[in-house]
Amino acid sequence: MFYQLINFGNEEFHAYPDKSLYWKRLNTLIVSDLHIGKSISYAKNKQFLPPYDTKEILNKIFVSLDKIKPSNLIIVGDLLHDVFSTLSLKDQDHKNLSQYMKNTDFIWIKGNHDENIQIEGFKNLTNYKIDKFLFTHIPIKTSLFQICGHYHPKVKISHRGKTIFKTCFVHNEKIFILPSFGILTGGLDIHSKQISDVLGKNNLSIYPVGQDKVYKL
Amino acid sequence: MNINKSNPLLLHPLNKWMKKKNWSWFPHQIETFHYVRTGSDVVVFAPTGAGKTLTGFINPIDDLIKLKKFKGLHTLYISPLKSLANDIVRNLEKPIKELDLNISFQVRTGDTTPYKKQKQKQKPPNILITTPESLALLNSYENAKEFFNNLKYIIIDEIHTFLDNKRADLLSLNIERLQTFSPNLQRIGLSATLKNKQDAKKWLCRKKPKIISYENSVLPKIKILESKERIPWSGHMATYSINEIYKEIMKSKLTIIFVNTRAQAEYMFKNLWLINKKKLKIAVHHGSLEKNLRLKVENNLSKGLVDCVVATSSLELGLDYGDVEKIIQVGAPKGINRLLQRVGRSNHNLNTPSKAILVPTNRFEFIEAKAAIEEIKKNNLDKIDLKEGSFDVVAQHIFATACAGQFNINDLYKEIIKAYPYKKLKLNDFKQLINLIQDGGYVLKNYDQFKRIFQLRENKNIYKLVNKRETRKYRMNVGTIIENPMLKIKLGTKTLGNIEEVFIQNLSQGDSFIFAGQVLEFQSMKNNLVQVKRSKSLISKIPSYSGGRMPLSTNLANSVRALLAKSNMWDLYPEQITQWLKRQKYISKIPKKDEYLVEQFPRKKNFYTVIYTFAGWHANQTLGFLLLRGFKGFNYKPLGFVANDYAIVLWSLKEAKEIKTILNLGLLDKHLDNYLEETSIVKRLFRDNAIISCLIERRLPGMEKTGKQVLFSSDLIYTVLKKNEPDHILLKSSYEDAKKNMIDYDRLREILKKIDKKIILKKLTSISPLAVPIILEINRENLSKKEIDEYILEDLENEILKEANVLSIN
Repeated sequence: MFYQLINFGNEEFHAYPDKSLYWKRLNTLIVSDLHIGKSISYAKNKQFLPPYDTKEILNKIFVSLDKIKPSNLIIVGDLLHDVFSTLSLKDQDHKNLSQYMKNTDFIWIKGNHDENIQIEGFKNLTNYKIDKFLFTHIPIKTSLFQICGHYHPKVKISHRGKTIFKTCFVHNEKIFILPSFGILTGGLDIHSKQISDVLGKNNLSIYPVGQDKVYKL
Repeated sequence: MNINKSNPLLLHPLNKWMKKKNWSWFPHQIETFHYVRTGSDVVVFAPTGAGKTLTGFINPIDDLIKLKKFKGLHTLYISPLKSLANDIVRNLEKPIKELDLNISFQVRTGDTTPYKKQKQKQKPPNILITTPESLALLNSYENAKEFFNNLKYIIIDEIHTFLDNKRADLLSLNIERLQTFSPNLQRIGLSATLKNKQDAKKWLCRKKPKIISYENSVLPKIKILESKERIPWSGHMATYSINEIYKEIMKSKLTIIFVNTRAQAEYMFKNLWLINKKKLKIAVHHGSLEKNLRLKVENNLSKGLVDCVVATSSLELGLDYGDVEKIIQVGAPKGINRLLQRVGRSNHNLNTPSKAILVPTNRFEFIEAKAAIEEIKKNNLDKIDLKEGSFDVVAQHIFATACAGQFNINDLYKEIIKAYPYKKLKLNDFKQLINLIQDGGYVLKNYDQFKRIFQLRENKNIYKLVNKRETRKYRMNVGTIIENPMLKIKLGTKTLGNIEEVFIQNLSQGDSFIFAGQVLEFQSMKNNLVQVKRSKSLISKIPSYSGGRMPLSTNLANSVRALLAKSNMWDLYPEQITQWLKRQKYISKIPKKDEYLVEQFPRKKNFYTVIYTFAGWHANQTLGFLLLRGFKGFNYKPLGFVANDYAIVLWSLKEAKEIKTILNLGLLDKHLDNYLEETSIVKRLFRDNAIISCLIERRLPGMEKTGKQVLFSSDLIYTVLKKNEPDHILLKSSYEDAKKNMIDYDRLREILKKIDKKIILKKLTSISPLAVPIILEINRENLSKKEIDEYILEDLENEILKEANVLSIN
């Protein structure tokens, strides 16, 4: 899998088309907004989405862990969609997770969707600081560099008379926002008010995610 | 019976009114009265102006008068359009008021206020005029049975517009429900003239089925515009003839110009205004315009306050505009029925012919127009193909049934297979649809605790809605018409109409475009409202609207082929057409009517293959994709293809020598699945299926995204489902829909079955005259959406890289 080189806060990061981000120096893999169990929590409102999202998200993450073998995995919030979501984790899933946790440290940061949820064997934090980097679901006021999730950024690209929307990695000088790693999750335009309020409108570095490659605009 | 001897209608309560108006009964009215009175379900075929509406009401009114002060609902009248329903009320009002008959009647559509609807339910009128969707809703109420208990008649107006789509499926299921409620119910269908009358009869009638038919002996007068200008090789805008069209408008009191697409309507309207020196009153009418604007045009039309209206199919049905003198059809007629329907909008007096002028916008269309005129003279109409009912509509109907109360699945199945489109519905598929409504119907039983309907413990065949709240969700989702995401256009505070989201996404602030006949400047988009202001810009875009592209009917296609082959007719055509065909005959060949001409020639380093199938756009589009794969298999390195109604052109790096080997039925069997996979056709239909079957909720205006992330997209659901459960009923349903509608599967199959023996292969040194129009249409690459995305991204990145290099050198 090809990755896109991203320089943020004078560190080298690799953006992968599976929507994960790799921090080379610390051998750390970062993902965000998995929304595990979104389908089951919709089902309680009788919207019956295909119940395969949890299985697929876990597979995706396991494939990535197998390949990269990071020392740490940081989940920047919204690992779970809501309290019902834990129902979609089967015994086998728990077993697999513990297996992977033997070699990799899982750092689960609370998101707005899962701040009050517990999974056995998992501890979750409000945010997490390494060096001059702060990992937090939603950016806060700080002089540190921040790596966040929450917004599921997408970029609108108009070129040669065609317009497409693409999931993307995006950052300004101080704030980095990851795309959603989930399966049934939608996205939000990076020029929407919600994202502009955080990142501003100018000097954005945007990396749209293609089929097997992350591009750079 | 001998209708001349005794006319039972002379004793009908309406006879007095007819006499006063100096009207006499039509033979088909007398027949209808007789057959319905003796217990038949009937379909009445008659042209516009032959008192069709009245025909439907003859028996109900007679009954109601005889029964005296009948309480409750007696007759249900189903109209395809809300606006038509209102017209019917107005037409019915006249005799009933003038004769002071004691019959109550009301309309019930999506526009009826909740208060009125409530009152109707408490105290139903004798006659209720409604639409298929409103009927479906009525059937979903708990007291539906009592409401329809004594229903005697159901009248289906314009039944020919219902027969080949999902609305027909929905309606057929609901008619069977009414029949269950009221076993004595009789059915009356009203239709324009149709080729396969038997099919309409089979669809509707159960009791002593009877076809009643009245043919108009006066043929319409249709001619092709005699233009001094050069008819273009290709294109669809008829710019060449605008002055001549204007002259034709001046000659008549009131003209309707029919075009084939909304974009054409805007374009034609704009061009007419540019040359409108006489200040004629010209208006535009199409389905995307705001309702009030449309109503205004319709009103002016019926009062004769305009000189000309440019319209799409939006004006094909509806009110009789008595003063319309002339119809101008711009662009290919595409089908005989459609042309007749349009032509019939002029001059509603049965004894004088309708007048129409056809304006072909390119050379093939000239032949098509000519062929259409010939077929109309021979009264050779198009067939409407009845299709097997769609699964998603059954799912919606199951949900509706559950809303009305607990139900036995065996009884429901028996009722559904009585409906003609579902005669062959398999019990197994039906059960899967029950599961779909219950919990999504997935193999993985994850949602046991969240079911929408559940089986009773004491009787596993009886299902019940979990919770009353679900009825609201059904009611929000009812219907089979799914529109593309549309945005409202606001000029100041005034709403002009709806425009496709895709079009707006491609605009930047300050871009101008034409809508509702005005040049508008795009200012901003907020909360799904598009704010515009008036603009004086001369350069403007015309919104394109996806869908609505009608393929050439098989009937008319055959006629075009036959006409093309008749070289003794050519001299009667305009010089330029004659020369075009003669030149083709000299350089290549004119195919006989059962031959398939294939031309191959080199051009600009590439190799071109043109196949004249006359199969219509859908089938040709599919064939193009299949051939692309076939060419790849032979390593011809194909680069692309373009299809229109008449032909397909493919271009490749290498000569496609084995074209005769490739072109056969095997092509379809081998590559169709791949084709469906690669194109977004099934994916798009999946979205419709998911909404119609109530798996996901419809995005209604006013409950749009609230600025948070989009909830989820049907594309993602499709991808996940396809990967994990390829046999899911909704995927099957979408696949069937694709075969039925989008790709013209059966038509293509018919052609490929016999094509290999009928190919005439011509190897040429350069392009032939017949190939020029389609070669001119080559302007876009036919790549799948995925490929386009990657292509755009790559291209953009390269451009930026180049720019970066230049900068670093400097």
